[in-house]
Amino acid sequence: MASNLRRLSSWAAGLVVAALLFNAPFAHCRDFVAEPRASSPITLHFVTWKADHPRAWDEAIQRFEQVHPHIHIKREIAPHSSTAYHDLLTQKLRNRDVSLDLFFMDVIWPAEFAAAGWALPLDEYFPQNERENFLPATIASGMYRHHIYGVPSRIDSGMLYYRKDLLEKYGFLPPATWNEMVRQAQAILVGERTAHPLLRGYSGQFKQYEGLVCDMLEFVGSHNGSFLTDDGRRSNLTASESLQAVRFVREQIIQQLATPAALTYQESESLAVFLQGNAVFHRNWPYAWGLGNDPRHSKIVGKIGVTTLPRFSEGRSTAALGGWLYGISAYSRHPDEAWAFIEFMASPEIQKHFAIHASLAPSRLALYADPEVLHANPQYKDLFPVFQTARARPRTPVYPIVSHILQRYFSRVLAFPETDIREEAEEAGRKINRFLALFRDL
Amino acid sequence: MTNRPALISGILLAVLGSLCPFLWFALTSFKSQIQVEAIPPTWWPDGSLVFYASALVEHRLLHYVTNSLIVAGATTVVALVVATPAAYALARLRLPGKTWILGGLLCVAMFPPIVIAGPVWQILERLGGLNTHWGLILPYVSLTLPLAVWILTTFFHELPVELEEAARIDGCTTWQALYKIMLPLAAPGLFTAAILTFIYAWNEFFFALLILTDPERQTLPVGIALFQGEFIMPWGEIAAASVIATLPLIILVLLFQRGIINGLSAGAVKG
Amino acid sequence: MAFPALTFVAVFSLYPAMDSFLLSLYSDFPGPERSFVGFGHYAELLQDAVAHQAFIVTLGFVLFSTALELLMGTGIALVVHERFRGRGWVRAAVLIPWAIPTVVASQMWRFLLNDQYGAINAILFGDRVEAYVPWLADPWMAFGAIVLADVWKTSSFAGLLVLAGLQVIPEETYDAARVDGATAWQRFRYITLPLLKPALLTALLFRTIDAFRVFDLVFVMTQGGPGDATQVIQFYGYKTLFTEGRVGYGTTISVTVFVAMAILSLFYVRTVGSKLLQREPA
Repeated sequence: MASNLRRLSSWAAGLVVAALLFNAPFAHCRDFVAEPRASSPITLHFVTWKADHPRAWDEAIQRFEQVHPHIHIKREIAPHSSTAYHDLLTQKLRNRDVSLDLFFMDVIWPAEFAAAGWALPLDEYFPQNERENFLPATIASGMYRHHIYGVPSRIDSGMLYYRKDLLEKYGFLPPATWNEMVRQAQAILVGERTAHPLLRGYSGQFKQYEGLVCDMLEFVGSHNGSFLTDDGRRSNLTASESLQAVRFVREQIIQQLATPAALTYQESESLAVFLQGNAVFHRNWPYAWGLGNDPRHSKIVGKIGVTTLPRFSEGRSTAALGGWLYGISAYSRHPDEAWAFIEFMASPEIQKHFAIHASLAPSRLALYADPEVLHANPQYKDLFPVFQTARARPRTPVYPIVSHILQRYFSRVLAFPETDIREEAEEAGRKINRFLALFRDL
Repeated sequence: MTNRPALISGILLAVLGSLCPFLWFALTSFKSQIQVEAIPPTWWPDGSLVFYASALVEHRLLHYVTNSLIVAGATTVVALVVATPAAYALARLRLPGKTWILGGLLCVAMFPPIVIAGPVWQILERLGGLNTHWGLILPYVSLTLPLAVWILTTFFHELPVELEEAARIDGCTTWQALYKIMLPLAAPGLFTAAILTFIYAWNEFFFALLILTDPERQTLPVGIALFQGEFIMPWGEIAAASVIATLPLIILVLLFQRGIINGLSAGAVKG
Repeated sequence: MAFPALTFVAVFSLYPAMDSFLLSLYSDFPGPERSFVGFGHYAELLQDAVAHQAFIVTLGFVLFSTALELLMGTGIALVVHERFRGRGWVRAAVLIPWAIPTVVASQMWRFLLNDQYGAINAILFGDRVEAYVPWLADPWMAFGAIVLADVWKTSSFAGLLVLAGLQVIPEETYDAARVDGATAWQRFRYITLPLLKPALLTALLFRTIDAFRVFDLVFVMTQGGPGDATQVIQFYGYKTLFTEGRVGYGTTISVTVFVAMAILSLFYVRTVGSKLLQREPA
């Protein structure tokens, strides 16, 4: 028994020593491990999510492995929510996880990843002339301080879906301005009240989360407002254009058209309202088109129209830029092989595959003239200008902090109708300025 | 509470309050996609099994159940093996500073998981424990030990010392006294500690999400959380998965409810 | 004999906690190089209005949820302590909520409280769909919703501890009172309740500790919204530490929560636990 005890305690002591001794510097040692030869099989770890279209993804990755038989792609599954994915991925990168090679970056992360040294600069792999084949907004989202860190896998941008049948019934054309949209919706609601008491004018994403920032960017931007000043160094939330747009959302959209229920909606909930036939207008990303015309999910197949988001009479239509970029970990031991994977996945052939089989809008310009892509997605033709002008959210290494401040500000003024918008905007602005200042001289 | 109508209404309230919310979820799992989101909600499902098929086949639910059984089972065994001698020592032996040890263990039980998650991740990375089951079992054991030791200590405390003294006179060592005499007597306490540990490990989400990103090894709560697609909320699949995921625990509770309650009554409250 | 247990705790709990405490003394910005700032983050926390709000929300949550759970738990315990046919099944039934993973239970409540197809609305308003309430959209009701979900999930845990306390009260205690003509309420008030005190305090301690650390519920049900109305301190700590990457400030928040809880439970150990800790084996 005594020997049992001794063995146990020496094992336990070993554990403590191991934990205490292996300190941060040791992590670097592994960077110098000899590179395996190109011919020996290599496994690349790719942090992704559980695909909405698993077959499309499986097929794409299989095709890659056929072309590159010595590279095996091992997928690691993170949550779908952008924020939860970010939190898991950055935990690995913060600890210089060498087992990680490839990941997705939401368009809002490259500045953060670049400043932290997590993402490998891709300038040599991805030269200027190759970048010109992509939508400019998607390339810009991968840039930070003149280096490029991500290759756009697709583009997302906000757009207005509407009930074609209802608008036609009441003799309306798709609205060009927000006020027009409000008038149309109210007329339709009055007319449909007895037949359809659940019908709402508008459904969008106003829960306290990242999507709220996108939706509000579209209102503020289409009123000539912005979150930050043009040089990106200070908050611009207290500018009267910005304040008025926020007030419009509170008084017209939340309290009237969308009802406060929208304060609990992310994409999925707001889409469900629309697909159940309970909203006249709906703001969402390109994917909603496919689901809206799928009878397993939608009661309004064939009754959907899509157009650019409205603007205020004195502003320009603004669509928030979304989407995901492929990136390579700075700690990867196989950057060349990782690049081969990205090059393959971002190729015209694979993007076309995703556009047709997963309704993901391509990031490559040429595909918008491809007859097969357009046949599967006829709406792209009208939306191409939106994709070209989509507006990015603030680009800064402290974006997660800025986003939390914005989320709190917007959610508070929308959920508490008695709050003073200007006061809340000032408080949010002060905090944003404080954090932006930290990176001003870097 | 000898009043019959009051007792019956109490029973009804307790049972309905506990079960109804979950029953609604269970009913949902047998609905079809259109029925799930119907407004107003329909009460009776049309008996569709699509969500079960989807949860079991597409989302490979049983594979998460297996992983969870491995992790929770191993955590329980290791935690008890480690906690029992510690609790015995604290209850019986004259150890210096044992008041502090117990108080300290209670303190450890209070660490917010978030505060230790980062460093635990780093330790596991250095030991090569990321994306392995033992890498999750080790921190789980550590996190459940304080409660297990606490329960077992109070339990050993209640057992008569005379039995051990008799054993010692017969020539047993301390370890033999523990394993041959005390353990059988302390079975209810062991059982209570076991079920608390098992349920903790079965339910834990935060560490499991951070430590396991390999889909081959992920546990049930993580698996169910990852059902959520980018754009659609799969209520039906989540409901079906929850029903399946809860079944093992319901069976466990049904089988052993007597054990849990007896264990607790002899143990934890005496403090 | 306690060595393996202490080793586990030392490596996977104490060392990480110490490490975190050290991290809380270093700056977060700019860049990966961190400089020593002493208790600077703690001073910042004193000034942080968002943290104060989160702390108040947490205290409210702890107060309401533990009070209701003790109340419901006592009720459950009194019921399942009685002898009747099928008691085992009733006991199992009331334990089920506790055995459901929190992540699943939170999703379930989000579904039940849905503004369109939620069962709660259907029960309250039936077919009058225009009267349906978006429960989680209102700051106060959203707060009530997370309390409700927690009470549903963990009342039976409190009930279990109280039941254990009931079982050690000897039946004879009641007989004398019955002879004296005491009503059921008087017997409960003057016999059961005083004797239940240790069990209630134990339940109170474990529930308070757990409620202080509430995270999963908020993470799944509301993400802290609307307008930070349900942002509890642990969720704020998580956002700061994991999403914003402010390791120093984020750990400061969590360490502060821990210290607050430690003080609370020291108080408990002194009053309730002292009997256990001080008594030496005969």
